[in-house]
Amino acid sequence: MKRRDFLKFIGVGAAGGAAGFIIGKVSKPPGAKLIPYVVPDENIIPGVANYYSSLCTLCSAGCGIHARVMEGRVKKIEGNPLHPVNKGRLCALGQAMPQVTYNPDRIKGPLKRRGAKGTGDYVDITWEEAITIISKNLSDIAKSGSADGLYLLTPPQRGNLGALIDSFLTAYGSSNHYQYELFGQRNLYFANHAAMGLANAPHYDIENAKYVLSFGADFTSTWMSPVHYSAAYGEMRQAGKGGRGALVQVEPRLSLTGANADEWVPAKPGTEAILALAIAHAVVEKGWAKGGDLDGWRHVLAGYKPSVAADLTDVSEERIYAIARAFTHTRPSLAIGGDGVSSYQDGVSGLMAVNILNHLAGNNGATGGVIPNPEPAIKRDSAVDFKRRISTLAADAAKGKVKALIIYNSNPVFTTPVAAKLASVIRDAPFVVSMSSFLDETAVYADLILPMHTGLEDWGDDAPEPGVGTRVMTIMQPAITPYYNSKGAGDVFLGVAKQMGGRLSGLKANSFAEYLKDAWRTAYSKDRQMSASALTFDEFWEGALKRGGWWPKATVEARRQVTVSARSVSAHLAQMPARFEGKDTDYPFYLMLYPHSAHRDGRGANLPWLQELPDPMTSVVWGTWVEVNPKTAARLGLKEGDMAAIESPSGKITAPVYLYPGIRPDTVAVPIGQGHTQYGRYAARRGANPIEMLPHSEDARTGAIALNSTRVKLSGAGPSNMVKMEGSTKELGREIIQTAPPDGRSES
Amino acid sequence: MNSLSLIKQLIALVIVGGAAFLIGYGVNITYFYDRTPEQPIEFSHKIHAGDNKIPCKYCHLYVERSRVAGVPNVQRCMGCHKIIKTDSPLIQKLTSYWDKKEPIPWVKVHNLPDYVHFTHKRHIKAGLDCSLCHGDVASMSRITRVASLKMGWCLSCHEKREVKNGKDCWTCHK
Repeated sequence: MKRRDFLKFIGVGAAGGAAGFIIGKVSKPPGAKLIPYVVPDENIIPGVANYYSSLCTLCSAGCGIHARVMEGRVKKIEGNPLHPVNKGRLCALGQAMPQVTYNPDRIKGPLKRRGAKGTGDYVDITWEEAITIISKNLSDIAKSGSADGLYLLTPPQRGNLGALIDSFLTAYGSSNHYQYELFGQRNLYFANHAAMGLANAPHYDIENAKYVLSFGADFTSTWMSPVHYSAAYGEMRQAGKGGRGALVQVEPRLSLTGANADEWVPAKPGTEAILALAIAHAVVEKGWAKGGDLDGWRHVLAGYKPSVAADLTDVSEERIYAIARAFTHTRPSLAIGGDGVSSYQDGVSGLMAVNILNHLAGNNGATGGVIPNPEPAIKRDSAVDFKRRISTLAADAAKGKVKALIIYNSNPVFTTPVAAKLASVIRDAPFVVSMSSFLDETAVYADLILPMHTGLEDWGDDAPEPGVGTRVMTIMQPAITPYYNSKGAGDVFLGVAKQMGGRLSGLKANSFAEYLKDAWRTAYSKDRQMSASALTFDEFWEGALKRGGWWPKATVEARRQVTVSARSVSAHLAQMPARFEGKDTDYPFYLMLYPHSAHRDGRGANLPWLQELPDPMTSVVWGTWVEVNPKTAARLGLKEGDMAAIESPSGKITAPVYLYPGIRPDTVAVPIGQGHTQYGRYAARRGANPIEMLPHSEDARTGAIALNSTRVKLSGAGPSNMVKMEGSTKELGREIIQTAPPDGRSES
Repeated sequence: MNSLSLIKQLIALVIVGGAAFLIGYGVNITYFYDRTPEQPIEFSHKIHAGDNKIPCKYCHLYVERSRVAGVPNVQRCMGCHKIIKTDSPLIQKLTSYWDKKEPIPWVKVHNLPDYVHFTHKRHIKAGLDCSLCHGDVASMSRITRVASLKMGWCLSCHEKREVKNGKDCWTCHK
């Protein structure tokens, strides 16, 4: 290098360094700030967390939670270790609770529609204006003599909010409280009530069972109370307490629970009920049945010979007898019917067959079997109203009976098939109020949107459903002051009642918090077990708030013997495999829909933590996929990651192909949860909603929407951008998975 | 000199200049920080803690109970200054924050990175005097940082006092 060049470099270097130094000096970010409180909150010590016991509101299981709060912000949610439902555990959906409260897409204040319905064009109004608009509309409707034209659509209500809503409606003069949830288990309630006379869901004692025969119940992932059942399943699998229990999973598409089972029985879709009845037939035939009236059962089960069922169900006769033998000879045993079987159009029949199995094996009322729950401490409208269903709502709307529709915490437009025409019902209703924290597919048609508190900001209570065999009442209390200008649902109803007065003047409480505490005071004074647990109500209430609710120390015991009579079930048995829309020549594949483990019925899709969470079976993130058996895919010329068009007689979606050996070659499966058109930046325009392409078929007895109700055809539709976290599901000749059969079990 | 080598030389000069720029910037940020930053109100610890001998814990409320000592809330300042020295322009500035119900945006003097888990509570419980780390605050009219707050500085003290697990990484980085 020449001397001149060297000096050049020195010069440039020095100039650059000096420039950097000076710019560093000038542009130095202002020092971090120490912002003090103007007036300190007595309950807050900066840097020290406060914990509040409360209730998880993200699904219907009713887990108890601890919210960790620092300086007025919720930092972390964990399970409440004392709570009998979840015993300190919590699922991913519950863990994501702070992302509901601090979601950037939350509605920040009451909104009134300005533009056309569905455009999302709203103007801000005050709460006083909002309450006045509702009161005026409801007054006008009542004056015109059509108070019954007020329709209220909510998820099933189990606590005192439900009691308040019902007193409101009764006082107003309407009987139209629709309690709807996609996975609301209407069929299960119907089957258990018809067969065993149970109004509440029973406690399925998986923990103490030694042989669990599950018909499509994905109980470790999404079914009913997955956190409770997962823990119970863990206990069952421990070799303590008399050995490790076995799990047999009957389902055409292997779920997370199926992947944990000892045996997978991929029965043909729609024939699970027949398989269950064939097992029952085998039990009676071989003389393994318990309980009386064997002639009655022989008569009822005559048409379900294992030899005949084997052809229908694709499960061999020997296997049916083997399951029947193991189910009756392993004590205690337990049969469960889950979403897999209850999601057919004749969903009740499969659950009825499961009840028969439990009866014949003597599992009803036994430890490790089906245990009826005690009456909840707080009265609630527990009986499911099977008459009020999506189709009757649409029919009433078509007749012009719906004068005002208030929708609370529910997104029926997303969770019902397009064929159910609910979008037009809501669009055309004269006055629609949406009580929701987010602008979702339903709220976008509302005239008035009232932003709701999230579960971390509101008061409430809950009796978990299904119960855990003992009495449990959970209290929800605010962990933080409301983050936005939202209100609780109870306060909205009380506010409207106060303003309308007249026939609603009986609802006097100043706030829902006061209403709730009064209800608990009444319960405390009436319930002997409650009043024995503390000297005064104040002491009782304080203790309940600290613990997260009230649950007396008790062991699960079978209080009531429940029996199933052959006569009561005979009207509800499957005569033939479930009906699927579409001819098998045009639409060669059965379509099975199942709830995504984190998004469930779609409610979790707006939480980025859950979008980022790999699905436990496929590891796919941020999108929908369709599970196709590798053999089927090869025949159709589809590769993993190819976009596929999935077409049913009622509609069409596209989704990337995921090659899934755990599904029958004649079946394809799509998770529910994505495909939102609204619901915030993380959910909207992502993936596809398979519910859209279903026919609108309901179980005639219960109104439950059938999710497994159509056949589809599949064709390639170009490339996709499916993202999955797994490398390969193959061991690629490394022999890293070695198996040895456990003692006493055949190698199969 | 042909055009190719000219371009090459230019690129080399840009790289050298750019690297030097980053180094200069880094040196400034790392070593030439402001140990005595200007504060929104010229608050004097000398008057409060020195001349008037107000104990530290009277204002830094949470030092025994929390990882942070706690910068006094505005109400606490006003507790005295509703009456004391109300004619001073500085106190009038304080009062204007109070009247607007706004917090005073104090500038941090001791700023630890997020990956350091430091707690005042433990150090106070161990019987350390505030001045050990914060210097003779009673003589400072504007707070200045006397400690380096570098890891070696922490460790030397932990070593000298034979702190239990005092050299364990997870004691501070967790």
